Amino acid sequence: MRNYNLNIAGYNIRFEALADGPDLIPSARFLRNITTDNNSDILIRVHSGKFNLPEKAEKVFSAPYVEEMNGVHINHGINFWSIWKCHSDLYIMTVFPLSSPDKNALLRFSLKQAEWDLWIDSTGNSTDPFEYPLDGLVLYYLTVIYGDIFIHASGINNAGHGYLFSGVSGKGKSTMAMLWANSGSKVIHDDRLIIRKTAAGYKMFNTPVYNNDEPGESPLNKIFIIEHSLKNKLVPVSGGTAVSLIMANCIQHNWGPDIIARLLGSVSIMCETVPVLKLYFKPDRSVIDHILEHE
Amino acid sequence: MPALKSILTHSPSIVTRKTGNEYVLIPVTNNIADMNSVYTLNETGAFIWEHIDGKRSVEEIINELTEEYNVDNKTAEADVLSLLEEMSKYLIINK
Repeated sequence: MRNYNLNIAGYNIRFEALADGPDLIPSARFLRNITTDNNSDILIRVHSGKFNLPEKAEKVFSAPYVEEMNGVHINHGINFWSIWKCHSDLYIMTVFPLSSPDKNALLRFSLKQAEWDLWIDSTGNSTDPFEYPLDGLVLYYLTVIYGDIFIHASGINNAGHGYLFSGVSGKGKSTMAMLWANSGSKVIHDDRLIIRKTAAGYKMFNTPVYNNDEPGESPLNKIFIIEHSLKNKLVPVSGGTAVSLIMANCIQHNWGPDIIARLLGSVSIMCETVPVLKLYFKPDRSVIDHILEHE
Repeated sequence: MPALKSILTHSPSIVTRKTGNEYVLIPVTNNIADMNSVYTLNETGAFIWEHIDGKRSVEEIINELTEEYNVDNKTAEADVLSLLEEMSKYLIINK
């Protein structure tokens, strides 16, 4: 393909291969997100080859390549992706260790412009321009632009009510999603969600992480900060405490006071209307009854 | 611990947000937020935070807290000094 649009979490992202660019082949996990709606929020022009960072570009954030296996984090000690800044332009420089070890890319973007440029340097004539980790990085900066919230959380919809369960790795997000799935609720996602404020209220959206992820969304009615326990217990929290607990679980690069302030503002406003509770839970069906009894 | 005559200001390396009667403070070092040191101020803490303005001394803040919350001066002094100690990374002392 020379161009296509993806709808992910309500963001319309258009990819266009320029004359010098490679053929674009979206991976299987994105096929359900392809849309015929050409009205894009962001246009990414795809070029082939290398593009050098400006000399004055300054590295503002970088991430090592860390794999999690059975709860253990393994740092592979290689440069994975990094964020660079030069005036109002930002750059993402990345490699693709999971899928294409011979490929690297540079994305030039701006929080104020809707047209971005992506240079892909690889040996093949065709490529997926949105391979991991670029997909998550682009989605993260879209949440920054739109004042949305990208969060480590599972989300479910039970009879029209959307519940979000947030916690860092090991706190029980997937367990909670599985318990609700077994009781017949719809799982929006079991690991990460994007929260957006819409005219109809707050909504949570999934993003394609696994090949079988169907695009999903739900109203967001309650947020639970989860913790394993021997007994089910709900503790409402509000104000600064609620904001701090949610901020700790947000996916964020933590650089740039303006970006941090923007997220802090979005989370604070959300906490004024969406109830936040700490949930200590036993990992069995009883937690669902406990939550529903307290509706 | 700042002296009673010290005048304090907020550190510029901080992102703040008032939510209801409370504040959330996030320190930023070398352009990176320290999310492990997020600090929440309750209503009294928020009162003290808002009175740290580069003009009032610690003693003046204690006196205003005493008046606002109808507590004795010793209790207000202990509360203010304890909070300032905890928040030292968010503050600059103008001597």
